[in-house]
Amino acid sequence: MKINPPDAYWKKDVALFFGKRFALLIKMIYPLAIIVPVAASGIPAQYAAAVIGIVAVMAGTFGAGESLTIDLNDGILVRVALTPISPRRVVFEVLAVNAVLDLVQLLPALVIVYILHPVSLMWVVAATFAVFATLVTANAIGIFIANFTSSPADVLLYATAILFPLIYLSGFFRNQHPEGILAFLRKFVPFAYMNDALKTVFGLSAKSAPMDIFIYPTLICAVLVFAVCLTAPRLLSPRL
Amino acid sequence: MQRVPALEAKDITLRYKSSGRGIEGLNISVNPGEVFGLVGPNGSGKSTLLRVLSTVVEPDSGEFRVGGADGLREKRKVRTKLGLMVDRPTHYGDLSGWANAYFFASLYGMEEKKTEGALTELFEYFDLAPYRDDRVKTYSYGMGKKLALIEALAHGPDVLLLDEPSLGLDYTSQLALQRKIRDLASSSVAIVLASNQVDEVESLCDRVAFLHDGRIVAEGTPEDLISSLKGVRRIVATLRNPVEYRPVEGVAGVDRIVPEGRDLVVHCEDRPGIVADVVAGIVRAGGDITDLAVRRPSLEDVFVKLTGEALRDEDQPA
Repeated sequence: MKINPPDAYWKKDVALFFGKRFALLIKMIYPLAIIVPVAASGIPAQYAAAVIGIVAVMAGTFGAGESLTIDLNDGILVRVALTPISPRRVVFEVLAVNAVLDLVQLLPALVIVYILHPVSLMWVVAATFAVFATLVTANAIGIFIANFTSSPADVLLYATAILFPLIYLSGFFRNQHPEGILAFLRKFVPFAYMNDALKTVFGLSAKSAPMDIFIYPTLICAVLVFAVCLTAPRLLSPRL
Repeated sequence: MQRVPALEAKDITLRYKSSGRGIEGLNISVNPGEVFGLVGPNGSGKSTLLRVLSTVVEPDSGEFRVGGADGLREKRKVRTKLGLMVDRPTHYGDLSGWANAYFFASLYGMEEKKTEGALTELFEYFDLAPYRDDRVKTYSYGMGKKLALIEALAHGPDVLLLDEPSLGLDYTSQLALQRKIRDLASSSVAIVLASNQVDEVESLCDRVAFLHDGRIVAEGTPEDLISSLKGVRRIVATLRNPVEYRPVEGVAGVDRIVPEGRDLVVHCEDRPGIVADVVAGIVRAGGDITDLAVRRPSLEDVFVKLTGEALRDEDQPA
């Protein structure tokens, strides 16, 4: 399969990702630099899981949102939107390829985590899948924010406002044992399933069954992807 | 049988909410193989009209069709028929020129072999072949414009929308572009050319529309528009030094004076003795004339006559 020259939107993003060598090096190293020391240390399991979760959430949200607003400001996305390709397909490809590339960045660090904290293959797959679902959700949030601002700096600001309550609900740091409405709302946040899976990897007893981690985040992500793709015509139109 | 226009716009109105400016009730029709010029000063509505025709924005009212397809309801169908080059083209700077052009051609659904053939020919035609594998961020402005032209042409559009295509191009590339436009027109491509390069519009366009404050103030062939200016002359005096030229405006028959670098361009009536009177006026104003030419009217003179305004910002009177 030929990536460069690209004949599809997602291939263009892959070509750009692997084309900038220094940036690629930094992108591959920073998750290792943050996650590996945490995984190798003896810090409590819930905090180790939270650190990985935060890295995943931030990488996903800021990646897609920032790159989209930059492309919107350049006018290049509007140029793409003037080709016969469907805007919804463009947004879907932006979302999918960014989530996969973010996973590629995190994968080496995750492999080291699994080596340092061996668990069953089922939990390795479940945790990796949950991280991917988090990346899809985070990228969807980033794309959603790009609908309302053309400034990459504003993306960071709005993302923080959206992510804080979701991180709280997921129980990364506080709200580890939610009850009532918080427990109910937690079920709708894919970050929560990643948190549960990573806590299991680090040795805590599982809150969610492996099948829950595959099924619920998949359904939630499907709804999110559909909703974000609906914003495509607005997202790809010029800001006049 | 009646000929179907390649592009037909009826009563297009679009006002920007932020500024209140825009276009009002524009009607244009361009036949296959015709080169249609849009001429007007900055802010007259040329780019806004091209934005509407390229489906970037929907008009407040009106309708347009491209090759029979409805521009408001069948946007994707319209986009397949259009080739578009905007005034300030953008590219993915970290991809090569070839990768950028290949990417856009692919978005139009072109097959690999066809894309490679078309791009090879266009890169050679516009002298970009030696730089095809360089990253676009290393390209000059003119090279970026040529790449945008290649992207606009590669998929073989039926209608080509070009916004200031030759601005920033070197002379050789301008000639290459003009040759290409003539070739495309002879193969039935309809071309809409928005430009303030009056010489280019005059030599290339079959018909021209003048835009002023968002409205078409005149439309016709360049010959008809220019011949409507019977009795008008343009005297171009090259001066050694700049002068306060207001006294020359007092010469009987002088309509308007526009400084262009070291030249003083005097638009005036064609009456006996007016050249001598204008020269005397310039000398009285302290001007030292090093060269003098009396020229036939151009499209620019038509626009000045119609609107009382110059086409270009630098032509505004001091």
